[in-house]
Amino acid sequence: MKLDPSFIWTALVQILSAIPTTLYITVVSVLIGFVIGVAVALIRLYRVPLLHPLAVGYVTFIRGTPMLTHLLLIYFGLPVLIDGLAAHFGWSFRSVSIPMIGFAYISFSITAGAYMSEVVRSGLLAVDRGQLEAAHSIGMTTPQALKRIVFPQALAASLPNLSNSVIGMLHGSTLAFTVSVVDINAKAQIVASTNWKFFEAYLAAALIFWALTFLIERVTSVIEKRINLYNRGGVA
Amino acid sequence: MGAQFDISFVFSFLPKLLGTLSTTLLIVACSLLTGIIVGFLVALPRLYKVPVLKTLSEIYISFFRGTPILIQLFLFYYGLPEIMKLVHVDMTRTPVLVFVILTYGLHTGAYMSEMIRASVMAVDKGQVEAAYAAGMTGFQAFTRIVLPQALGIAVPVFSNLVIALLKDTSLAFTLGVMEMSGKAQTLGSLTQHFIETYIALALIYLVISFTIEKLLLVAEHHLLRHERRNTPEKKLFKINKSWSYRRIIAELGPGKGGTGL
Repeated sequence: MKLDPSFIWTALVQILSAIPTTLYITVVSVLIGFVIGVAVALIRLYRVPLLHPLAVGYVTFIRGTPMLTHLLLIYFGLPVLIDGLAAHFGWSFRSVSIPMIGFAYISFSITAGAYMSEVVRSGLLAVDRGQLEAAHSIGMTTPQALKRIVFPQALAASLPNLSNSVIGMLHGSTLAFTVSVVDINAKAQIVASTNWKFFEAYLAAALIFWALTFLIERVTSVIEKRINLYNRGGVA
Repeated sequence: MGAQFDISFVFSFLPKLLGTLSTTLLIVACSLLTGIIVGFLVALPRLYKVPVLKTLSEIYISFFRGTPILIQLFLFYYGLPEIMKLVHVDMTRTPVLVFVILTYGLHTGAYMSEMIRASVMAVDKGQVEAAYAAGMTGFQAFTRIVLPQALGIAVPVFSNLVIALLKDTSLAFTLGVMEMSGKAQTLGSLTQHFIETYIALALIYLVISFTIEKLLLVAEHHLLRHERRNTPEKKLFKINKSWSYRRIIAELGPGKGGTGL
């Protein structure tokens, strides 16, 4: 086995075809995760009676266990649950018809939801309560005040965290190979083992991930500048 | 899809998984140690703005934060022996655990250096000036004024990093290391009780990360005892301002975004 620098390029080209899968997993899990996260964060902030302990339990469990166990629990547990319910209620739907990538979507969304809820919560906490009171005093309702005053500021405050979470999910999507989804990592594995050039293939995969991460960071910093326009000091 | 779900298996798997806990903790401890040393070495050129070294450490941090740890694991496992072959060092007999610890150590090192840098920079510059005004030397000001404050700021990030590292060790099984998740996989395929094994595995991880978090929270409260006020800390939408500001700096900056694998 000898180092073959030219193969890095060959591998890079071959792995490119797997980028969409990785991006799909990342985008879907971040979007659904964000929705779950906002819901969980609001439940925790407003201490909704019954749901509050549930939300706390969810966040603690997900943050305390590795992403790999979430994926495997969903992968092995969900079919049992669905097939059990299907047999009980006589549905025609069976777990076999869930595509492999579906398990990745579901499990990573659940994972992202818990982390996102912390991001959203710290963002909301960063907004001064006086802002909400001021909005109330000029006659806004709470949903209006949240939508127009609190959320935009919270978003600006939590943007760096949000971008970290997106990058985290991008990196986390490499785990999808355990449920045989062909993402960048799995593709690198395939390219590596068919050509018996492991180092070069993984180097190519690393370069792609590095580039993607860099891209996300750039985009975030542009959005951050845009979103913090109101926050400039000095005289307008 | 395996045998019927049976909760009793969870309890019978727990002690079996706990048997491999030592491997997991060994990986965590060794990589943490490596990570702290590497982190300091990498943070210093950036803090003191040493010309060439600064760029190198920036590239190092960018690479290790910009690629998934799973890829890094494979990269080191397959790449290091080949590179070492160029200088005629044979690594074929090196245990896999060495590669695992090295990868995790360097990975954590990148985050550690960011943590160290951010928490040193989060200490108000006026504090150092005040220390100089009181006649302290640079070294005295650093060890007596900056370091104690930086430590307090760093603890929440540190705690996140340790827990992230603990969870990352679940990937070591891909290289065939028999730590907890590797053991869980083996148990699962032996008995066909996959769900039960992974529930047991999740429970163990939960307990350990909860313990680490609580321990470090105590440390944080101790280190930040001068910062606290007597007012209750958490109200709806309101937490003590100076406290929250520090915490937000600490949590925004160099952490893994909470999303450890």
